Amino acid sequence: MQETFDAPDPRRFEVSRATLWFDRLMGWLIRCGGIAVILAVFGILYFVAKEVVPLFRGATVAEAGSAQLPPDAKVLGVDEWGTTAFSYHGGSTVHFTEIATGVRHEHSLAGFEDAEVTACSFDPVRARVAVGTANGRVGSFVVRFERKADDSGGFEVVPRVESEPWFRLEHGSGSVTAVSDGDSGATRLVAVKRGEGASANVAILRLSMKRGLVGKGKLTLLGEHDVTPLLGSEARLLRASQNGMAALIACADGGVRYLLADAGGVSLRQTFEPFADSVPLSMDFLFGGVSAILTGPGGIQEQWSLFRGSEDAERLFGRTKSFPALGDAVPVFASSQRNRTFLTSDDDGGVALRHSTSGDTRWEGEVGIDPALAVMDAKGEHFLVADARGGLRRFHVHDPHPEAGWRAFFGKVWYEGGSGPVWQWQSTGGSDDFEPKFSMMPLIFGSLKGTAYAMLFSVPVALLAAVFSAAFLPQEFKRVIKPLMEIMASLPSVVLGFLAGLWLAPILETRVPSVLAILVLLPLTALAAGFLWCRLPIRVRNRIAPGSEWWLVLPVLALAGWTGWIAGPLVESWCFTCTDPATGGTIADFRLWWPQATGTAFEQRNSLVLGFMMGFAVIPVIFTIAEDALSNVPRPLTSAAAALGASRWHVVRTILLPVASAGIFSALMIGFGRAVGETMIMVMATGNTPITEWNLFNGMRTLSANIAVELPEASVGSTHYRALFLGAVVLFAMTFVMNTAAELLRQRLRERNRIV
Amino acid sequence: MPTTATDSESSTKRTAPTRADFIRVEQFSFFYGEKQALSKIDLAIPEHQVTALIGPSGCGKSTLLRNLNRMNDLIEGVRHEGDIRIGGTSLYDPAVEVISLRKRVGMVFQKYNPFAKSIYENVVFSLRVAGRSKRAELDECVERSLRAAALWEEVKDRLHESAFGLSGGQQQRLCIARAIANQPEILLMDEPCAALDPTATLKIEELITSLKQRYTIVIVTHNMEQAARCSDRTAFLYMGTLVEHADTMKIFSNPSEARTEEYITGRFS
Repeated sequence: MQETFDAPDPRRFEVSRATLWFDRLMGWLIRCGGIAVILAVFGILYFVAKEVVPLFRGATVAEAGSAQLPPDAKVLGVDEWGTTAFSYHGGSTVHFTEIATGVRHEHSLAGFEDAEVTACSFDPVRARVAVGTANGRVGSFVVRFERKADDSGGFEVVPRVESEPWFRLEHGSGSVTAVSDGDSGATRLVAVKRGEGASANVAILRLSMKRGLVGKGKLTLLGEHDVTPLLGSEARLLRASQNGMAALIACADGGVRYLLADAGGVSLRQTFEPFADSVPLSMDFLFGGVSAILTGPGGIQEQWSLFRGSEDAERLFGRTKSFPALGDAVPVFASSQRNRTFLTSDDDGGVALRHSTSGDTRWEGEVGIDPALAVMDAKGEHFLVADARGGLRRFHVHDPHPEAGWRAFFGKVWYEGGSGPVWQWQSTGGSDDFEPKFSMMPLIFGSLKGTAYAMLFSVPVALLAAVFSAAFLPQEFKRVIKPLMEIMASLPSVVLGFLAGLWLAPILETRVPSVLAILVLLPLTALAAGFLWCRLPIRVRNRIAPGSEWWLVLPVLALAGWTGWIAGPLVESWCFTCTDPATGGTIADFRLWWPQATGTAFEQRNSLVLGFMMGFAVIPVIFTIAEDALSNVPRPLTSAAAALGASRWHVVRTILLPVASAGIFSALMIGFGRAVGETMIMVMATGNTPITEWNLFNGMRTLSANIAVELPEASVGSTHYRALFLGAVVLFAMTFVMNTAAELLRQRLRERNRIV
Repeated sequence: MPTTATDSESSTKRTAPTRADFIRVEQFSFFYGEKQALSKIDLAIPEHQVTALIGPSGCGKSTLLRNLNRMNDLIEGVRHEGDIRIGGTSLYDPAVEVISLRKRVGMVFQKYNPFAKSIYENVVFSLRVAGRSKRAELDECVERSLRAAALWEEVKDRLHESAFGLSGGQQQRLCIARAIANQPEILLMDEPCAALDPTATLKIEELITSLKQRYTIVIVTHNMEQAARCSDRTAFLYMGTLVEHADTMKIFSNPSEARTEEYITGRFS
């Protein structure tokens, strides 16, 4: 045994292989975990950026074939797929040209054989060419394309032309010099000019397509109206709106006349002078027929739209936008049939794609020829330009998000029909020509408003509670309160939202005066109770252990709350009386009083409801962290202050609050983050109206609620879909900026109140 | 004990002969929950003298000290039996305002604990919480307190800098200056030199000797030499009971109790 004592185990300094192996394994595992987290964050950023970046790209345009048309085309059109161009040159034939192959064929127009066409115009939406003849007749034909599978597995586009009946003009004399056709499908209007100079005559034809049960309907003339006396000046440009009820006529005096046709006839609604005395070089309706693009001398291009100047005013034209000038030449014009994009040319043969809503130029470039005619296909994927000699070029357009851009998302935009530039979010609408409105501003505002009200309600409560718990409350109650608060924090927000929307909102709706009374009474009572307590002799006060005074104040506060609740209707009948619009009598109802007194709305689901319910979500967060920060202030400091004769409140004010300020600030920031990102309560309690108003009694739509509500209905890859992702980026940016600023401030606070 | 009466009483007492039982601890027992920390202590602490409380760790000397200004009230679940009287008035009289008691009985802690404020603001803290904010009064108080704490010469040029810029010994002297700024009657010191180096300790001890002219000082210390050097009377506590209380000279030269002798000669600690 002696030897074993003298010779200790020689391996006792060695580390076991298992320890080393395990150490290495854990090291790698932790490293992998860390890298995976970083990769995941970057992955999310990459994905979000991938969805958002295309919104800020312009259009890309590439030449995709050329062909030769017969020279001197008067009308240029194209099929929906951009494969076959057609041209009309007057006369009785329509020329079809397959762009890929250059193959050309002619279709003759029935009933046009003896027509001497002197004027024609093209409506790309209906693919209708309207013509006028030397002998005062007006007619039209429609071009249709059908796509049929061919033998080789591809598709063949088969064109067809359909002539429509002729109408002989009764008014005026001489040949037709201008014609324009507008058709909504239900009503149709043709504006025709006969003759030139002082003797020129303008007539409006109202047509109706009577549909039979079987086969084609019959086109009937409802009336021909001579509008020459209404104009008072020679007409130069005629444009019928595609709504089939209105026409714009630019006259020699520089005035543009807005004519409206209805069953009672045609009336002059408005005369406006976009370019003072100058006659517009061009004037064309945009898709939808509500706005027109007018080009004036020097290529000044402006958009004029129909809107109501005030609530009950008539819808009239007004200037809503200006575009960069183009030069002196008469520009070619083609309007998209899907959105508010239009094509226009400048005097150097350059072509630009412009979006009328945002006012942005989507693309600008040369097309290699001097364009005389242009057309965009129905899908918006191609545009065709042709020069006077018949040279035709086709361009492929890739512009998936024409309505997007910095201005559309963050600037005020004057939407069609609106009475001024606004920030508006309205992603879906009822009609085909509806323009989606994607302004982020109402949503940013909504997020800020929701957060502000949530914080307004929760910050005072949470901070006072934290101070009370940390500095006044005996340990035994503290041990109960903190876990309770944490349970409160773990309540699912969908439950809170549900309660807010379906239980709290209906109660608060009729009890606003009670709530106001309680909000006033409760703090006042607390202060009064505290004051009275201090007036009591020390002998009485010493009977209650410090920290247990709240047992006394609790029934007082409960009484105050109850009084406030009961007093609400009384307050209402004193202060909130107004006239009842239904009966005309006087009624005490806050819901009616508020809109009459302030001019803003009163909604059932409003910021007050939101503030209360968000309190449930935010208070525990702020309370827990702030309470920890206050409780972690080193005991020696509070003892030192107490030993110097500081009261509990003095200790809080001079020691606890400054030392814990950094932690309290973090608590506020985390509460803020919770409020900004909160979704379900916002969705269910606010009504989700994207308005920009600070009114306490209406709702808002936040960025997060917007994503939750609309993402299911946004088609993947659409502007709407990407705009929702942009909302997410904005939300992220807001919290990032706020958190960074807060962190910097927090560091400074911590540095200032450092305890070493 | 109304504060005004106390002030006038103490100012007349300054010139009067010192009372031998200025602080009287009578049959005082103290419990932290179930655990008894002090049992039936009887002790009379004379005015304007330094009384040292010595004893091994856990003997209850700090507990006793912290009861003299009711700092132990801040701890949950404590209770006491018996009484402590200062100048004849019980600390537990229902008419006693704890805050004014603590103004009367200042305290210096083991670990120096200045606030995260300037030197100036640290000193005038007790005046500020009392609502006194006249500049001249505060200035006067700062100079008087810092001079009394033998710190004035060292910090007079940087009164408005952070207190954390001072050395440990300076910070502790600042805490003493802070404790005497409101001119309490009694100064409690809970191992004031435990966290300091020997040089700083020496300065604090000199300070204690000079302060006893104006204040009744009760000091808890582990350091026998310190007790011997700067106290007039010494009380030896052991396991929550008072073993012996006598003049310091007597305790250290000729203790009556065997346990006292064993302790001061270092046979146990």
